[in-house]
Amino acid sequence: MSTSNPPPSERASEIINSLPSSPNLITKTGTAILGTGLLATAISQELYVVNEETVVAAGTFILLAYLAKLIREPYRDWANGHIERVKTALENSRAEHTQAVKDRINSVEQMKDVVSLTQGLFAVSKETAELEAGAFVQRQKVALASELKAVLDSWVRYEQQLKESEQAELAKTIIARVTSDLTDEKMQKEILANAVAELEQLVKSKAI
Amino acid sequence: MLLNNTNLFINSPLEQFEVTNLLSFNAPLFGYISFTITNLALYTAIIFSVIVGLHFLGNNDTKLLPSKWSILFESFFASINSMVREQIGREIYLPFIYSLFFFILVSNLVGNIPYSFTITTSVIVSIGLSFTILIGVTILGLYIHKIHFFSFFIPAGTPLALVPLLVLIELISYLARAFSLGIRLFANVVAGHTLLKILSTFLFKMFSGGLIIFILTLLPFALFLAITGLELAVSFIQAYVFVLLVCSYIKDAIELH
Repeated sequence: MSTSNPPPSERASEIINSLPSSPNLITKTGTAILGTGLLATAISQELYVVNEETVVAAGTFILLAYLAKLIREPYRDWANGHIERVKTALENSRAEHTQAVKDRINSVEQMKDVVSLTQGLFAVSKETAELEAGAFVQRQKVALASELKAVLDSWVRYEQQLKESEQAELAKTIIARVTSDLTDEKMQKEILANAVAELEQLVKSKAI
Repeated sequence: MLLNNTNLFINSPLEQFEVTNLLSFNAPLFGYISFTITNLALYTAIIFSVIVGLHFLGNNDTKLLPSKWSILFESFFASINSMVREQIGREIYLPFIYSLFFFILVSNLVGNIPYSFTITTSVIVSIGLSFTILIGVTILGLYIHKIHFFSFFIPAGTPLALVPLLVLIELISYLARAFSLGIRLFANVVAGHTLLKILSTFLFKMFSGGLIIFILTLLPFALFLAITGLELAVSFIQAYVFVLLVCSYIKDAIELH
């Protein structure tokens, strides 16, 4: 304690400085003189009676001043430490909250294209469905056409077969007619006459 | 000359505890009703103002960060809260205990200021307070336990023959609490203030005895300072002891031993 005490001269100037004063009207000397004078007057006029209560007052004042001096610094340190601790806790929680909000914003930001992307996907799926429907229609058309073709082909084949069989029947009939005709003597004579006539014709023309 | 005149008479050290009329209104028209403001009433009002003022100062304008004042009151609150939790186990009695603690503490501290009056040195305040509390605690016990409350006066395992005697002893012991609680506070504060008054009277006489004696008296004056410090400590200790005992009485009423 004694090492931290200021020298008496500094202590004295501290006390003088603590007296109230203003540059124009009241000087420090004036305050000191006025204070002492008022106290002396108060005592002499019995406005203030010095008695045993004065001793109690002095004792209490000295004790309270000493306690205030003793407690002030440790209390201030402790209070500041506590305030700092609360402040740190509040600031940390605020920083954590800010960070949490930022993280949330970031996570939401990653999903910002979800709407347009979904709309695009929906459009694509709609288009795909339309295309699939078109393809189905086309497949049905192809199936119908191929079935028609098959039916028609079979019909054509049938017609062809029918025609061929008719032609074969006709040829057969003609051959039979011709064969029967050839067996007819009259016919044979006629053919022979025709052949001779043709030969004569050829000879005449000097073709042979 | 003046000092010598004042030395001629010695006030009684108990004079400081007298309740005196400061302002009195008599109304003869209404059956001689008398309204009187005594020093006790004045200091009760001052104490109330100081308690409210200190808490107003310490509420820190409801800011989130505590101030140096609010930390002090938060510490008091935390200490009393932990005491109530440990003793009673329920926080419902905390406002009452907290108010009681601050009332007694501030009463004692205001009494330590020179030229002031200590209301806890008045029997009507101390005993009145302890009686009121004990009556309240008894009502609380009867409200919670109904007729079973009276089992509090019969210790477990008492032979039947001894029951009347023990009930009488327990009842007296229970009622003695009302006195002991108030008298403890009253006696401690009165003793301290009386001691200070006697010592200060002697010291004043010694200080008035000349320069050499004045210087020599500084040594007992240092002892006087220590006793003044002790009185400050007593102010805190008595307030604490009072509320601690009230807590234990409330606990007894709730749990019946």
